[in-house]
Amino acid sequence: MKNFKWLSILMFSALLVLSACSDSTTESSSKENTSVEDKDYSELQVAYNAQPPTMDPLMTTAVATRDVARNVFESLVTLDADSKVVPMLAESYEESEDGKIITFKIRQGVKFHNGDEMTADDVVASMEHWRTTTALGKANFADATFVKVDETTVELVMQQKLFIALHLLADPSQIAMITTEEVIESATAEGITEFIGTGPYKFVEWKNDQYIHLQKFEDYKAVETPANGLAGKKEAKYENVYFQFVTDASTRLAGIQTGEYDVANAIPFDNVEQLNSLDNLTTSVDHNGFNAIVFNKRSGIFADKTARQAVNAALDEEAILTAAFSNSQFYELESGLMIKEQTDWYSDAGSDQYNQNNPEKAKALLKEIGYNGEEVVILSTRDYEDHYNAAVVVQQQLESIGINAKLDIYDWPTVLERRTDETAYDIFITGFPTEPVPNKYVFLDSRGGWAGWTNSPEIDALLDKIATASSQEEATNTYSELMEEYYDYLPIIKFGNKTTVTAYDSSIEGYDFLQGIILWNMK
Amino acid sequence: MLNFIIKRLFSLIPVLFIVSVVVFLLVHITPGDPASVILGPEANPEEVAELREELGLNRPILEQYFVWIGDIVRGDLGTSLFMKQPVLTAFFEHLGPTLSLAIMAQTFAIIIALPLGVLSAKFRGSFLDQTFMGLSLVGISVPSFLLGLFLILLFGVELRIFPVAGYKPLSVGFAEHIRYLILPAIALGAMQAALISRMTRSSMLDVLSSNYIKTARAKGVKELIITVKHSLRNAFIPILTIIGQTFGSLVAGAAVVETVFNIPGIGQLIINSVERRDFEVIQGSVLLIATSYVLINLIIDLLYGFVDPRLRVGKK
Repeated sequence: MKNFKWLSILMFSALLVLSACSDSTTESSSKENTSVEDKDYSELQVAYNAQPPTMDPLMTTAVATRDVARNVFESLVTLDADSKVVPMLAESYEESEDGKIITFKIRQGVKFHNGDEMTADDVVASMEHWRTTTALGKANFADATFVKVDETTVELVMQQKLFIALHLLADPSQIAMITTEEVIESATAEGITEFIGTGPYKFVEWKNDQYIHLQKFEDYKAVETPANGLAGKKEAKYENVYFQFVTDASTRLAGIQTGEYDVANAIPFDNVEQLNSLDNLTTSVDHNGFNAIVFNKRSGIFADKTARQAVNAALDEEAILTAAFSNSQFYELESGLMIKEQTDWYSDAGSDQYNQNNPEKAKALLKEIGYNGEEVVILSTRDYEDHYNAAVVVQQQLESIGINAKLDIYDWPTVLERRTDETAYDIFITGFPTEPVPNKYVFLDSRGGWAGWTNSPEIDALLDKIATASSQEEATNTYSELMEEYYDYLPIIKFGNKTTVTAYDSSIEGYDFLQGIILWNMK
Repeated sequence: MLNFIIKRLFSLIPVLFIVSVVVFLLVHITPGDPASVILGPEANPEEVAELREELGLNRPILEQYFVWIGDIVRGDLGTSLFMKQPVLTAFFEHLGPTLSLAIMAQTFAIIIALPLGVLSAKFRGSFLDQTFMGLSLVGISVPSFLLGLFLILLFGVELRIFPVAGYKPLSVGFAEHIRYLILPAIALGAMQAALISRMTRSSMLDVLSSNYIKTARAKGVKELIITVKHSLRNAFIPILTIIGQTFGSLVAGAAVVETVFNIPGIGQLIINSVERRDFEVIQGSVLLIATSYVLINLIIDLLYGFVDPRLRVGKK
């Protein structure tokens, strides 16, 4: 008994000593109002909800790769906060009269992370690699080529004018990154093997299933224009950025509250109010695309567009969005594929067909096609709770108009496989980013062969018309026609705009978001 | 003893063969493949098909199995499709955190369970006994992830005594390394402590009623010596068995706790690999875990001989 008593005293003492051994990441998270000069900029700990499949943005459409890689790589042009195309590594660009040639003047004195200076040869190699590797490049620039004109000039030469060319080159997903010619030459079928860019942070280390470590690039050459979306001045303050892979939401939540992490993404909507009540944290609610029903248009009941129109008539989008996102501050009713902030494109064409919530009309349409109680399979996943919650409400709404709807729930990789099988489903629920141009939406163009199998010559023709438009006005008018056609053909049904919530320490300024978190100006 | 060890090592072969067939079939029958996960949800079908071809996923399943087995015989467990590194390297990188966690959890479990079990047996039927066994029931019933979340909330978020998540390797310092493992070790070890304490109590009760214990008491031997030297040691065989079994399951089954506490161990490796259909890693890891189970059981069998000389292997 005496030995036991001493053992317990020893253990208790050991616990006290260990708890006193605190490191800087777990000391009080309450970073009081310290001045910019006094603050510790050695590390920015970011709790991120997924591990990228690769650091090569050309090899995947995964958002985790996009969000990490954008700190390391830059492109010739990029998007500002209004999704307008602005120069980045290009100093300027100019389109020829016939629109077939875009001439880029490259910024001088820009260094890569390995110390080499960016040259026209690097730009040509990188852009040719992007053009021939990515789906975007292959679909839109198959007959085009990038050529070096002189040491400061590169041209994109196309066989015909492509109005949306610059938007595609500025697209943040599968960023048209500029890297060294040597990196491109040593790339394999699985992608580049070194991650050398021009961005404000350079790649240091990737500890699998733990973190990606980026380090401030001291020789970064910023543009002088003010920061604006993905464009403008980037002033990296933190010496090191760690993207910690924290897949469990409750762990991210606990960690951001205690200061273990400085930034945490994908905060569950139900916890936002709790975080807002804490003085040491700030939350940011940012537009993050939309969720939608995708129909199987190749076989089954929804091969007939009248059946799709019946579903569209029935849906109460507000109820679906509330189920998926819990609170109206986290979603927005929006009929169009291009959102209001995309001022060049926005149109409310077709909005009279959106959110009809008209069960009687739906039943009449079902009667018209002679629907006879055939089972309708809704494919979804619990891996994304917003998809699942929306699917449950959709099922209920379909049943209320007499459709025999059944939920098939699988994990995400299984859903990805099953949605390519036309016998496996009638509807699947999924999410889409908001694209910079309508042509990028994978569910519109029949020639892409994407799941759901859209097959509308009318939509294809309108997309081609946008692609070859001679002005933004023409493109926007055509987009309005496209939305009218979209609401007639119904390749998908958009529920409404959705958001994502990021939490960060209140002492930090400079957070921004445009299709993903923007960290480089945080201080 | 050497013959015994060699025989047990040879018994690995049929065990691993059966495990390899089962895990290979399970992985390849399950829908979903790494190509679509790597390329992302907006990849077009042609790209996915091209990558599937490159990864050899379109080959007949038997061919894929025999290629894999052939590589294993040559000591190559394959390469992770996602991490771009050999499966063996990935496994051993992730083994460190799991081993640290398992050892800490088991140590915590043994330190708590043995005294609890012994005292429960000694004071059988008393309030102490009922309290301890009630606590052990709670330990068995409460899921480890729930206990883990509770510990995070109390000791991490509210009291700020321990970090809420993460892992620091030994290279950072022993104290830091241990500090990050305390809460997950408690979450994981609670159930093991409950199981070990119940087995200890049960085994001790058997021994305490023996004639030689009565004789020792009659001869005036001190109670502590009766308990530790004469009772516990003789009761230890079944306790050792359960310690061995629980340790094996700790190595393999800490997945949920590793996820909650964000520890990059074997459990998280396997979960992540299943989510992204990293076939080679799933198959290789399961084989390695099966091997570790057999080896742990071998060590337990050898330890029996230290506890009870009558059970020494190779002894005639």
